[in-house]
Amino acid sequence: MTFFNLNRHGLIAACAAIWGATLGVPSAQAEAADTLSIGGTVTEIVYALGQGHRLRARDTTSVFPPEATELPDVGYIRALSPEGVLSVGASLIISDEGARPVEAVDVIRAADVNFVEVPQGYTIEALSRKIRIIGKALDVDSTAEALISDVTKDIEEATAVAQASIDEPKRVMFLLSARGGKLTAAGRGTGPDAIIRLAGGINAVNAFEGYKPIASEATLAAAPDLILMMQRGGDHAANADELFEIPALALTPAAKTKALETMEPLLVTGFGPRTGEAVRHLSQILYGN
Amino acid sequence: MALAIDADLVPVDRLSRARKLHLLLFGLLIFVSLGSLTTGATGVALMDVLWKLLQGQELSQVERIVLFDIRIPRLAMGLMVGASLAVAGAVMQGLFRNPLADPGIVGVSAGAGLGAIMSIVLGGLLPLAILESVGRHLTPIAAFCGGWVTTILLYRVSTRHGRTSVATMLLAGIAIGALSGAATGVLTYIANDAQLRDMTFWGMGSLAGASWGKLAVAGPIMLISMGGVMFMGRGLNALALGEATAHHIGIEVQKLKNLAILAVAASVGAAVAVSGGIGFVGIVVPHLLRLGTGPDHRALLPNAALLGASLLVGADMIARVIIAPAELPIGIVMAILGAPVFLWILLRQRGVVDL
Amino acid sequence: MIKAQHLNVKLSGKSILSDLSFEAQPGHVTSIVGPNGSGKTTLLRAMTGDLAYTGRVEINGRDMQGQKPWELATVRGVLPQASALAFPFSVVEVVNIGLQGGRSGQSSTVASAALSRVGLAGYAHRPYQELSGGEQQRVQLARVLAQIWHPVEDGEARWLFLDEPVSALDISHQLQVMNIARDFADQGGGVVAVMHDLNLTAMFSDKMVLMANGHIKAAGPVAEVLTNDHLSSAYGCSVAVNQTPNDPVPFILPQAAVA
Repeated sequence: MTFFNLNRHGLIAACAAIWGATLGVPSAQAEAADTLSIGGTVTEIVYALGQGHRLRARDTTSVFPPEATELPDVGYIRALSPEGVLSVGASLIISDEGARPVEAVDVIRAADVNFVEVPQGYTIEALSRKIRIIGKALDVDSTAEALISDVTKDIEEATAVAQASIDEPKRVMFLLSARGGKLTAAGRGTGPDAIIRLAGGINAVNAFEGYKPIASEATLAAAPDLILMMQRGGDHAANADELFEIPALALTPAAKTKALETMEPLLVTGFGPRTGEAVRHLSQILYGN
Repeated sequence: MALAIDADLVPVDRLSRARKLHLLLFGLLIFVSLGSLTTGATGVALMDVLWKLLQGQELSQVERIVLFDIRIPRLAMGLMVGASLAVAGAVMQGLFRNPLADPGIVGVSAGAGLGAIMSIVLGGLLPLAILESVGRHLTPIAAFCGGWVTTILLYRVSTRHGRTSVATMLLAGIAIGALSGAATGVLTYIANDAQLRDMTFWGMGSLAGASWGKLAVAGPIMLISMGGVMFMGRGLNALALGEATAHHIGIEVQKLKNLAILAVAASVGAAVAVSGGIGFVGIVVPHLLRLGTGPDHRALLPNAALLGASLLVGADMIARVIIAPAELPIGIVMAILGAPVFLWILLRQRGVVDL
Repeated sequence: MIKAQHLNVKLSGKSILSDLSFEAQPGHVTSIVGPNGSGKTTLLRAMTGDLAYTGRVEINGRDMQGQKPWELATVRGVLPQASALAFPFSVVEVVNIGLQGGRSGQSSTVASAALSRVGLAGYAHRPYQELSGGEQQRVQLARVLAQIWHPVEDGEARWLFLDEPVSALDISHQLQVMNIARDFADQGGGVVAVMHDLNLTAMFSDKMVLMANGHIKAAGPVAEVLTNDHLSSAYGCSVAVNQTPNDPVPFILPQAAVA
C-alpha cells in the first residue's frame, strides 16, 4: 500500500520539512508548469505548498486562490473530456478521487501522464494525507510536511479556542441550496459538518449523511440557531429576509435573530488548508470569542 | 377501361429526389466525420497524421492516443448513436402513426434512465463478485437491461390476443415514465453528492465515455437493429393508412410491430446505455426529412440514419471544442440546437397536424 | 368465388354473426344491405380477415385461414369505410402504397390510370390531406384498384371488397364509383359491397344479401330480395317498392341520372 510507504516516508522527512520550510529552499521554483489540478481543495493545497506556478490548468471547482481561476478550465471532475484533459499537455495530473468517466481516465493514464488520485475526507488526518500525497506528487515532500504541521496546529488552536468559548452549544444548519423554498442541507460526513463540530457547534442535521433535501418539519425539529450558507452574489440582508420567509425556516430560532452567515464555498465545504480560518470564523460568529 | 394518361402527369417523383438526397447526406456525413477527426482540444490534425503515416514516420504518443483511442471511437460511437436515435424515431413515428412520437415512446429511455440511475446509486450494494465481473460497465449494462425490461413490460401490457394496441402502449408508456421518474426521485434522496452529479450528467448525455470496449458491445447491437429496420419502409408506409389497411395491402402488421419494437428497444437501449440521455435527434431529424422529401419511409429511414449520424457528430464537435479544454454535455448542445428547430417545425405545422 | 360457411363472429363476447353462410360469384356485384347494426360490416370484415371468426371462408377455393396477408393482397383489395392518413403523402404516393401490395409492381402507369379512373387525373401531386372527404375516398378507391388492377389474373378472378363506398360522395361521384365496381365485375372480377343506398344497390347489383340481426333475411337477384315484405321486416318500418309518393316534395333517383 502506497499510503503506508508515504506515511513512513513522510515521518522520516518530517524533520527535514521544518528545515526546508525555514530555509525556504527554492528547489521547485525553476520547474515548468506541467501540472493539472482537479478538485478545489487539491488546487488550494498546491498553492499552499507554494507550487501554484506549476499549474497549467484546473477544474471548474478550483476557484481559490483567485489566481487559479485564470488557468484554463478542463471541466467538472465527474464529466471530464479525455482530449480536453490531454490538450493542456500536463505531465502530472493530481485529482480528487472519483474522476469520471472512467474511459477518459483510462485514456489519460495510457498517455504517459502521471495520474495521482487524492482520497477524500473531512478530518485533520485526511487533510494531512491529502497534503502529503500532493506534496509527494509535486516532489516537495518536506514543504508538505511543514504545511501539515502548520495546518494541523492552526486547526487545533482554532478548535481549542472555539471549544473554550462555548457557553451553550449552538445548533447550526448548513444549507447547500434554498432555491424555491426547497432546502438541501448538509448531514454527517460533509465538509460543513466537520467545520461546525470543530467550531463548537452542533450540526442540526444529524439524521442523514451527505447533502440531501430536508423536509419542512424536520427543519423545524432541527431548530437551528444559525443558518450557514455559501456566499453568492446579492445583498446579504435582503438574502436573509428572503430566506427566513420560507415557512420551514420562519419558526426556527435562527429566524428570530435573522442569523444567517455565508462563507466562501471552498472554505466551508472543502476542508482544505484554510480549515483553521473557517473554524475561527464560525466560532466567532457563534460565540463571539 | 380508360387507360389514357396525360403527359403532364408523369410524376414529380419525391422518392427519387429523396434517394438523391442519400448522396448529399452521405457527403455531409463524410464531411462532418473528417471534421470531427481533425478537430479537438489538442492540436492534432488529421492531415498531419495522415501525412506522417504516408511518409512512414512514427506518430507521437499523443497523436496516437488522441486519434485512435479518443477521436475514432468517439466518432464511431457518435455516428451509430445518432443514426440509431434518428432511425428509431422515424420507426416509432411510423408505428404510432404520430409524427411527434419519440424513440423513447416504447419506454426504453425511461427504463434505461432508471437502470442507469439505480446502478449509479445502488451499484455499491451489489455482491462483490458481480461488481468485479462487470466493473465499470455496470451503468451501461444496467441501462440496457432497464430499457429492455421496460419495453417488454409495456409490450405485454398493451398486447391482447396477439394484437398490440399502440394507443395502450402510448398511455402505458406515460405511466411507466411517471413511475420511473418517481423512482428516480426516491433514489435522489439516497444518493450522495457525487452520485447526484453523476445522475445529472448522465441525463445530459455525453460521448466522452466512448471506448473501443463499449463500441465492441454496443456497436453490433445498434448496427444489426438498424440494418433490420431498413427493410421496414414498405410496411411503415402501409401502416400510415391504418393497421387494417396495411393488413389488406399485404403487411403482416403484428410481425412488423414486434420487429420494430424489438429493434428500437435494442438500438435505443444500446445508444442510451453508452451515451446517456440525448434528446431531439429522434424527432427533429425525421421531421426535417419529411418536410424536405416527403414521408416515404423507404427513403426516410436511410436518410434519417445519415442525417442523425451527421447531426450528432456535428453536435459532439461543438460540445467538445466550444469550452475546451472542458466540454459541454452533448444533450445540452442537442437541446440548444434541437429545441428551436422543433418549435419552428411546430409553428409551421400548426393547423396542419391534427393532434 | 367467395364462400363463407358456418361463420360465427363474436365481438367483446357478444355474438354478432352465428352460423352464417354467404356466397359471391366472380362477374357479379354482390351487395350486402340491411339496417344499422345488422352485422353487414362485421360480415365483410370477417371475410377480409380483419375479425377473428370460426367457420370457413374461402377465396377462389382456398381457405383464407393460413394464407399470409401478402398472398391475400394479390387476390383482393379492400376499401374501408373511412381512412386516416398519418403522414403528408401525396395522392400518387398513397396510390403507390396500394400498388406495392398487389402484383402490378411499382408501375407509374397503373397509378396514373387508377387516378384517372376515379376522376382525379390531375391530382397526383396534391397533398392527400388537403383533399375533400369525397376526393380522399376516391383516392382510396384508386389505391385499391391499383392493388388489383386486372380483374382477372392467371384465369382467376380478383376481388374488390367495398365498405359503404359511396357514403361520402355526391350523386355524380356515387354513380362514378358504382360504375367502376360494375366495370370490374363485368371484366370478370368479383365485387362485394356493403351498401346503404338501396336505389344504387338495386341499379348496380347482380345479387343482394339482406341482413337483419346478424342473420341473412334474403339473398338472391335484386328483384327477389327487394320486396315490400323483406324490407319492411328487415328495417322494421313499412316501405313500399316502386311506388311514387303522392306528396309534392321532389325526389331524385340515381336511376334517372343521364350518363
